[in-house]
Amino acid sequence: MKNKMLGMILAGGKGTRLGKLTQNQAKPAVPFGGRYRIIDFTLSNCVNSGVHDVGIITQYQPLTLNNHIGNGASWGLDGLNSSATILQPYTDSRGSKWFQGTAHAIYQNIDFIDRQDPEYLLILSGDHIYKMDYELMLEDHIKNNASLTVAVIDVSMKEAHRFGIMNTDVSDRIIEFCEKPEHPQSNHASMGIYIFNWKRLREVLTTAFSTNDDMIDFGKDVIPYYLKSDERVFAYPFSGYWKDVGTIDSLWAANMEFLDTDNALDLYDRSWRIYSKDPIAPPQVITDNAEIDNSMVVDGCFVDGTVKHSILSTNVDVKKGAQIIDSVIMPGVKIGKNAVIKHAIIGENAEIGTGAVVEDEKGKIAVVGNSERVGVLQNEE
Amino acid sequence: MKNNKMSAIFSNQHEYKELKPLTDERSLSTLAFAGKYRLMDFPLSSIVNAGINNVYALINQEKVRSYFDHLGGGKEWGLDTIGSYQYIDFYQKIIQRQVSGEPYFADIIEFLKTTSYPYAVFIGNKMVGNFDLQSVLHYHQENGNKITGVFKKVKHDSLAFDDQVFVLDNNNNILANQQMMDTQKQFEYNLSLNIYIANTDWILKQLEKAQMSDSTADISKLLAALAAKYRSTAYEYTGYLRNIRDIKSYFDANMDMLDQKQFASLLQGNQKVITRIRNEVGNYYSAGSIVKNSIFGTGCRVFGEVKHSVISRRVEIDKNSWVLNSIVMSSVNIKKGAHVEYAILDKDVTIEAGVTIKGTLEKPIVIRKYDDVNDDWIRNRG
Repeated sequence: MKNKMLGMILAGGKGTRLGKLTQNQAKPAVPFGGRYRIIDFTLSNCVNSGVHDVGIITQYQPLTLNNHIGNGASWGLDGLNSSATILQPYTDSRGSKWFQGTAHAIYQNIDFIDRQDPEYLLILSGDHIYKMDYELMLEDHIKNNASLTVAVIDVSMKEAHRFGIMNTDVSDRIIEFCEKPEHPQSNHASMGIYIFNWKRLREVLTTAFSTNDDMIDFGKDVIPYYLKSDERVFAYPFSGYWKDVGTIDSLWAANMEFLDTDNALDLYDRSWRIYSKDPIAPPQVITDNAEIDNSMVVDGCFVDGTVKHSILSTNVDVKKGAQIIDSVIMPGVKIGKNAVIKHAIIGENAEIGTGAVVEDEKGKIAVVGNSERVGVLQNEE
Repeated sequence: MKNNKMSAIFSNQHEYKELKPLTDERSLSTLAFAGKYRLMDFPLSSIVNAGINNVYALINQEKVRSYFDHLGGGKEWGLDTIGSYQYIDFYQKIIQRQVSGEPYFADIIEFLKTTSYPYAVFIGNKMVGNFDLQSVLHYHQENGNKITGVFKKVKHDSLAFDDQVFVLDNNNNILANQQMMDTQKQFEYNLSLNIYIANTDWILKQLEKAQMSDSTADISKLLAALAAKYRSTAYEYTGYLRNIRDIKSYFDANMDMLDQKQFASLLQGNQKVITRIRNEVGNYYSAGSIVKNSIFGTGCRVFGEVKHSVISRRVEIDKNSWVLNSIVMSSVNIKKGAHVEYAILDKDVTIEAGVTIKGTLEKPIVIRKYDDVNDDWIRNRG
């Protein structure tokens, strides 16, 4: 059976506001929730929704992401009727093809999409934490006989000015789109999730680029063009957990929400599992000296110190007397004896030396970058 | 590289009635270990860590489901790539063929001929250890052996009645092999770990000779006898080892992993122990939970107290309950106020609220798979 909807995940974003954490990897590769990387949520949603062909468009620092995704086996995308394809910019006879925007990235990968020959193109962002059934969205798209369907979520009116806002009529048809409006008229924010009829989008993009009337971005160029040309554009209202963890504060807060036993994302729900690459680490070890309170700990961790209201990711080593409070510790971090970490995010493979202190400053979350060293880790038993 | 290549025969022939009821529905090889593994992960990881990707697995025909559930296509072990092969056959077939007078090693001979690598490894299923088969191969080559057996010096209480032990001279030349139950009591035994490396050409001849003369169809026994007959030297393994043969040895092996040195020696050595991938969320330890000296798989939620225990995947431990000196397998539910001490709770067991299960160090209580326990079960002695 040919898959009629192809998923394209835009995973090239730098995530500038995540600072040190995205210095050597793209935002979708940033670890999340102890066991995952951000892109796992989108990839798992695809698989759980029956979208079994997925292209992942990368550009900024793709190494971690490429290694993580591989051939898609971790998500079951390596089967007969499934595929995960990493799409990086390339050059051809007309020169280099760095992706200049979301729509441009799709245009540059027309050859790939044509090979898959889908009826519908599902455009996704690899930056968000959520669970969503794209099949239901497709059903809506077909029912509305739409050319484009945009997933929207209601945000508070106060925040609406930070989003692309869709004004809709009673049938959910989008009549107006305002990118970050000063005076928003509604609170239906675009989630950056689109279903296009591929034939039409292909036509629109190729015509535009061949006439130098470039369509670089979906939000800035393509959606306004569709509305202007009276295409059938509908909103698909989504309610539920959805987080853009674009800043240090929101990344920290979203991680911490996991520690509420009735958090809305409910990762323990087996009917909508989130898959990730498994490092096959040993079981976690909690020693006699350990004190763990309201925290999440995963495989390969060794805990000999105190962990309170924190998340420890894979292969984190916490030595005796160390204290970790209100913090997110990313994979492979080593924390020395008597070190103190409070209200912080510690990047992958960082080392916090013996007795070192990492603390927030006036409520501003402390961040230690990937592979960064704070103090000296004494080699002791 | 290719001149040092080995193919492997992985024999899952050992089963012990002393492991029941844990092995009612599964084989010894697929018993859960250390919250994350199955016993077969140890020999299988040793095989693939030595760069072997041609494996002939002899399994128990009565417990087929448990092997396939764990092994699948062998992806995690890299046994699903081009150029790698895993053949699966039933070891009972060898015995049946012998009974009906057919050439009973024919399929193994065929396998060794097809892969045509210069060396063949044989490894059993019940020894928990981290075996470096490449260094056994080096030893084999340096000593110019036709066959090399691997042994460890152990005390009497680490042996099963059917184990093979070697009589060695001072240079580790094997003078004789004996079945454990035929030996005189001694201070230390050279336990055969049921791991052998042989020159393929040579072992092919020996297998053909054996089936023609109708000698034993038990390959472990045959190889031990061959190693003794040819006076070859044996390789001494000095790492972590447990010989799983009854509930007590299984219990002790798991509890060993609560010792950091033994944990590191088995699970954090140079060779990674590979197991089936399970996609689980991290463990949640609530405010008010108390966890000491324990190891865990993933996907657990702990609201109660856990001390000196080995907890597997997706275990729920509710408020005011406690788990002490126990092994808890996956998807177990321990409800409010339940107490579990010196017990092995098999998969999918539920301990209802307020129920006490209490065994002893010598005789832990085993709760069978799927059991829903409503009544106390307390064993005071023995």
